[in-house]
Amino acid sequence: MFPVIAFLVLIPAVAAAVVMVVPRRELVLPIGVALSLLPLGVAGYITWEFQKGEAGFQFAEQVTWYEPWGIGWNVGIDGVSLLLIGLTALLIPISLVASTAITERVKLYVASMLVLETGLLGVFVSLDLLVFFVFFEIVLVPMYLLIGIWGSGNRIYAAVKFFIYTAFGSALLLAGILALGIMAGDQTGSPSFDYETLLTLDISTTAQRWLFLGFALAFAIKVPLFPLHTWLPDAHTEAPTAGSVILAGVLLKLGTYGFIRFNLTLFPQATVDWAPWIAAIAVFGIIYGAVVAIVQPDVKRLVAYSSVSHLGFIVLGIFALTNQGLQGGVIQMVNHGLATGALFLLIGMVYERRHTRQISDFGGLARVMPVYAGFFLFTAFASIGLPGLNGFIGEFKVLLGSYLTLPGHAIVAAFGVVLAAVYLLWAYERMFTGPVDKPENSGLRDLRPREIAVLVPIAALIVFLGVYPKPALERIEPSVLHILERIEATTDYEVPDFGRTLELAEEGDG
Amino acid sequence: MENFSWLAIAPDGILLLGALGVLGAEVIWKPGHRVWAAITGGSVVLAILMALVQWNRVADQGASLHYSGPGVGLDATTPMYVLDAFSAFGGVILYSVTGLALVAAWRLVADLDTRGAEFVALTLLSAIGLHLMVASANLVMLFLSLEVASISLYVIAGFTRERIDADESAMKYFLLGSFASAVFVYGIALVFAGTGTTSIYGATGLVAHLDSSIVVQPGVLLAGIAMLIVGLGFKVSAAPFHMWAPDVYQGAPSGAVGFMSAGVKVAGFAVLARVLAVGFERRIDDWAPALAVIAVVSIVVGTAFAIAQTDLKRMLAYSGVAHAGFIATGLVAGVDGIPAIWFYVATYAIQLIGAFTVVSVVGSHTGGASAIADYSGLAQRRPALAALLATMMLAMAGIPLTSGFIGKAAVFTAAIDAGYLWLAIAALVAAVAGLYFYLNVIVVMYMRAPALAEGPGAAVATPEAGPTDRAVLAVAGALTIVLGIIPWPLLNAARDALPL
Repeated sequence: MFPVIAFLVLIPAVAAAVVMVVPRRELVLPIGVALSLLPLGVAGYITWEFQKGEAGFQFAEQVTWYEPWGIGWNVGIDGVSLLLIGLTALLIPISLVASTAITERVKLYVASMLVLETGLLGVFVSLDLLVFFVFFEIVLVPMYLLIGIWGSGNRIYAAVKFFIYTAFGSALLLAGILALGIMAGDQTGSPSFDYETLLTLDISTTAQRWLFLGFALAFAIKVPLFPLHTWLPDAHTEAPTAGSVILAGVLLKLGTYGFIRFNLTLFPQATVDWAPWIAAIAVFGIIYGAVVAIVQPDVKRLVAYSSVSHLGFIVLGIFALTNQGLQGGVIQMVNHGLATGALFLLIGMVYERRHTRQISDFGGLARVMPVYAGFFLFTAFASIGLPGLNGFIGEFKVLLGSYLTLPGHAIVAAFGVVLAAVYLLWAYERMFTGPVDKPENSGLRDLRPREIAVLVPIAALIVFLGVYPKPALERIEPSVLHILERIEATTDYEVPDFGRTLELAEEGDG
Repeated sequence: MENFSWLAIAPDGILLLGALGVLGAEVIWKPGHRVWAAITGGSVVLAILMALVQWNRVADQGASLHYSGPGVGLDATTPMYVLDAFSAFGGVILYSVTGLALVAAWRLVADLDTRGAEFVALTLLSAIGLHLMVASANLVMLFLSLEVASISLYVIAGFTRERIDADESAMKYFLLGSFASAVFVYGIALVFAGTGTTSIYGATGLVAHLDSSIVVQPGVLLAGIAMLIVGLGFKVSAAPFHMWAPDVYQGAPSGAVGFMSAGVKVAGFAVLARVLAVGFERRIDDWAPALAVIAVVSIVVGTAFAIAQTDLKRMLAYSGVAHAGFIATGLVAGVDGIPAIWFYVATYAIQLIGAFTVVSVVGSHTGGASAIADYSGLAQRRPALAALLATMMLAMAGIPLTSGFIGKAAVFTAAIDAGYLWLAIAALVAAVAGLYFYLNVIVVMYMRAPALAEGPGAAVATPEAGPTDRAVLAVAGALTIVLGIIPWPLLNAARDALPL
């Protein structure tokens, strides 16, 4: 079989090398964009060929690299990773197109973006934990360069903080992965980092707890969960537009993806024991992020804090340990990537015109830039979770799923939706409504066709997923149910019936 | 002499001939550095080839003991020197490192004029000493090899004597190094007092003795082991025996520091592995915890001080202290950790030479100074140099897809497997702190504006790398990346490179 995943992961890396040798600098960005459409095409092919209704890993490839360490190129895609791969492959070309403001060291910039894509795609497809770690960690380098070289004001501080903060989590993750591999060696005779082999291990509850902690710390920093979120506002604010889009759109999902893929399945007992506590931290983060976002004077920082709040929803959905919660968590990862990605793009567009991000510097923009204002309001609604747009589906599923097992958590979290309306709509009001009281704002040009072209695909997906989420959900569901079955089989936890039977009956009918 | 084979000493003999050849040719004909290059290059390449022949021989016929003779407590089966997979592999690594380092130092050699021949000869002699260390099967022989290597290095450290700090460098290295040697000799004496032998192998050697007899005075033996660790800990600049490293690195010629640091690390840890993991294998519960403590102290001290440095060479010296700690982390696993250590020291040696070559190119314009501030904006002036140094920094920091990550994963796996999970976690967390100073170099090169005409020593125009520098940088960069993605060949070889 054609190794389509290897192809998918390698194209951006090869493209990065190609970009580095492009002779004329004005050609670098167009060539980069063109090359980044290739992985998008492959991702489209994968989405098309993906068999819905199957829980296992598809397109699997297995090549042993080094027998004594039990490490190999084990990759596969299931319902959890499928949409994230599509999201990554979509956001990279979009952010490259939106990067015309980058004029210095364009080659390195485009190459960094493409290497970043390889790292992100690699994380989502890897089923060998050591290879997963390699991709998980390598993502830091291009993002560090993106923030540090092309960022604004306080970029070096933000870049170094980002790198060291997240690398600290990775250190314990690596220790956990190595310990797991050695444990596999003790139990099966040869060390292995293969995910499916590790699933068969018999891990004591104590060991599960320690390993869970090691993995969870790394992923919690990446998500980021309160109180480990302090790197995020700096990194988001100082990063260039494309950096913020990828950071919020995809990078944060590495954490939530890691929770689902590894913590839930490898350490089910520890997951069941601690789920209410982690969900509580997530709920706190939802409220905290939203409240802090309300008072931010810098609109980019506001969106950054809104990410803390939104990612809290995703983590809540995951640790609700119900079908709806997990489904909501997965779909919400995509939704947040689209909506927040679009918001960062929009902020970048106005920043290019005005070179400020202070909310108080704007006012009445709807009069001078009506198209821009329309897109902004639309995206804000998607982010808030207006019914008919994608955010609603995700948040609804998360709240429904978590109400089944953690009703108290769900009720508090619901206030986060209200607060989201407060911070986004209040920001909209201050920036866009009223008279144009600053002379600098009166001459601003509305969106150019290129900028609209950047936003339209995202907006279309927002509407599509909001109106007709079925294609996405029916690809996610089998994999999610599979995870829950694994938890039920290894612990005495039982998924609430409503969370399962209804949907299963539905499937039987169809 | 029946136990003697020419093959066992062939590589060292060839290098000795090379060293004498360079000196002799210079005295008699004064032919200039191109002829030295031919002689040196020829002998180093031949030595590597002979080491590979040894490697094949050992793989075919098994290890053999060589060059034994009567002596104190020795009989015919207790060798001074062994040819085993360990020494053959060590030979390949050490001679390759020497060759790479000499190419990197060649600009310095050419500049030194007639004294260049001495420099080359000293480097080769030192390489012989380093390899003899790896192959020594007797503590006395080990001490002699150590001195051969060290005394040559003391001279090299002060070779650019027109620089003020060169005197300090050589003097400090010599005095502290001699002190460490003295401690080491005392350790040998105590081991002899405790066991009645200085030989590792053979019927009356340490291994056999510890296997078969009860140590009457364990305290004496333990003190001896401790002093051996201290002496070797000094050579590999493990904390708290690292004080000399920053000053010596800073004052020594940049072109030579790569060899000084890399060669000694390789040989020093190889010796620690043979003496501790093999010779005192029975006593692993005594020395492994001590080594674990040294590892943690080295990593913490090295990292903490490296963060505070403003000079790249000093920073690399302190980072070397931390690296000594990381390598020691693998050694606590005993023999099982040896493949990991081999991989780590071999790749780290390459990274060191690459990094110091960049330092030497950038510093050649500023009189050998290497303030990190001089590197600001290097990415715009010399993109290739900056990219290479950045790669080396990422590799030393242990970022994936570089050989540094595989090395760290290997030693930590060995430590966890041996039950030292706490040590691996401590080392991993400290490695994150270490990111700060490695990243700082990248920050300065890529994210700060060039410091044009700012103060003395400002990097007004960084010179281009010469052809020799470019060759070394290409090799070091390629090896670091390739071994980060396809480490299997070296890992497999290292798994076979076990001592007798």
